[in-house]
Amino acid sequence: MTTTRTRRRLQLSLLLGPVTVFLGIFFLGPLVIMMITSLLAPGLYGGVEWEYYPHNFGRILGFADPAFEDFDPVYLAIFFRSVRIALATVLVTLLVCYPAAFQISRLSERWKNFCLFLITLPFFISLIVRLFIWVLILRQTGIVNGVLMATGVIERPLELIYTDGAIVLGMVYVFIPFMFMPVYASVEKLDWSLVRASQDLGAGPVRTFFRVILPLTLPGIIGGCIIVFIPALGNFVVPAVLGGAKVLMLGNLIEQQFLAARNWPFGAALAMLVMAAVLLILFIYVRLDARQGAAVAPTR
Amino acid sequence: MSILKRAASLGLAGYTLLFFAFIYLPLALIVVYSFNADPVNMMNWAGFTTEWYAQVLGFKTTLSENALYIESTDQLLAALRNSLLIAASTTTIATVFGTAIALAIYRFDFLGRRFYRVLMFAPMLMPDIVLGIALLIFFVGAGVHLGLGTIIIGQCTFLISYVFIVVSARLAGMDRTLENASADLGADEWTTFRRIVLPQVLPGVIGGALLAFIISMDDLVITYFIAGVETTTLPIFIFGMLRRGIKPEINAIAVMMLAFSFLIASLGLYFRTRQR
Repeated sequence: MTTTRTRRRLQLSLLLGPVTVFLGIFFLGPLVIMMITSLLAPGLYGGVEWEYYPHNFGRILGFADPAFEDFDPVYLAIFFRSVRIALATVLVTLLVCYPAAFQISRLSERWKNFCLFLITLPFFISLIVRLFIWVLILRQTGIVNGVLMATGVIERPLELIYTDGAIVLGMVYVFIPFMFMPVYASVEKLDWSLVRASQDLGAGPVRTFFRVILPLTLPGIIGGCIIVFIPALGNFVVPAVLGGAKVLMLGNLIEQQFLAARNWPFGAALAMLVMAAVLLILFIYVRLDARQGAAVAPTR
Repeated sequence: MSILKRAASLGLAGYTLLFFAFIYLPLALIVVYSFNADPVNMMNWAGFTTEWYAQVLGFKTTLSENALYIESTDQLLAALRNSLLIAASTTTIATVFGTAIALAIYRFDFLGRRFYRVLMFAPMLMPDIVLGIALLIFFVGAGVHLGLGTIIIGQCTFLISYVFIVVSARLAGMDRTLENASADLGADEWTTFRRIVLPQVLPGVIGGALLAFIISMDDLVITYFIAGVETTTLPIFIFGMLRRGIKPEINAIAVMMLAFSFLIASLGLYFRTRQR
């Protein structure tokens, strides 16, 4: 008996040992070092000075070293701008996916599976290729301006690319599969007898939607919103490709700190900010989920 | 009322068609455009040509006289070679590690199972830029030369999670009675594993490996930070091209990558339908 137990323990440590060491060094290690870096002083020519320096976080809020810098909320403005763009992305993606989820949930099993395959397929297509297509569509000599000019709607090409709208459009295009799957899972589970009951009891379509359909599909909506918001907030590829050369979002600001400005500790502090925002959202989600679970549990 | 309902139903169906058009029309557009002889204006159809493809694949074209283009083709092929090399290495490592953790969590009862579960979901929920710069600080601080090695290690940290999720979905749906039967019939542990468990897990492992390969080939953000100056992968090459200005052969590259993605995705689908 003891031999089986020792053998099981040996098997387990063989399975877990190497991967634990690997992730400990190359995943948890870098995260800890990044946290430490965010509290250190920037070196004169890049790199870090090994001394405690709390002003990296102060700089995000606009109060850099109070001794020789004035209050300047430029980074705070970029943060709120990123949040705004990410929220717009979440909202548009939801509005795009939600009605389609209802239609697809009504189809026959064969068509349903085919549609789901079509929606997940873009996930496997290179992100940069998908974004590049939108550059072609939106740029000055692109298809949208071409059509509008050929039909005489406009005389000079519109400034479509390198705008906030272009960033949101690009992110919506890329994140559709992320939003669709959780929303669809909720919509497909929707109990239509409750909808009919609501209608029989005299509720109009608007009332039925807001009092029955929306609350019942809310878990999927919230899940999808979170899954889209997280990569949207810190995104740096979409703004870099569709947003032009300016610093537009947190992701670009972080990239600049590492590859151009060479202020690593400040970049690390910004990354910590992104991570903190993500953790906060996940924490709220888990709490809400637990509360909802508790509220639902007795009726089951 | 019934007319209203019909109209609503038709409207929803029409909307769904638009939804799919929004996803696929741009992809169709680039395929058509990649054969356009006019490289500058998308609206202007200057005739059908396969010149861009020939250019990308390194054949002699009217363009190859231009020294600048030859250089870019060499860079492209080097980037492709790097991407394939990295994807092959990361897929191997991540598949072994991800499967190992999945087996440990689903087959053994031990302290810290929750910890490993959280550890497996963490890289997927973390914004990739955070992981990218954390790895950059780490590698530079440790004095490691940035290049193929750092890219492979860096990508593995999150690819393990993807393999884990695919394999554990397979393990969770597995029937344990067959194993018990095998043990009752006198097969030893290793034989049972080899003859019963492995064939059942294998589709999950293959699916996880395909997913890891695709994500590795496509990863831009994390690779971008830890690639160093002289190593270029395919996504980084295209990203750089987009930032410097678009050359027409990028369309042909994009379409070929599109075809590759479709191929791998259909392969994955084939394995999934076969296992049912």
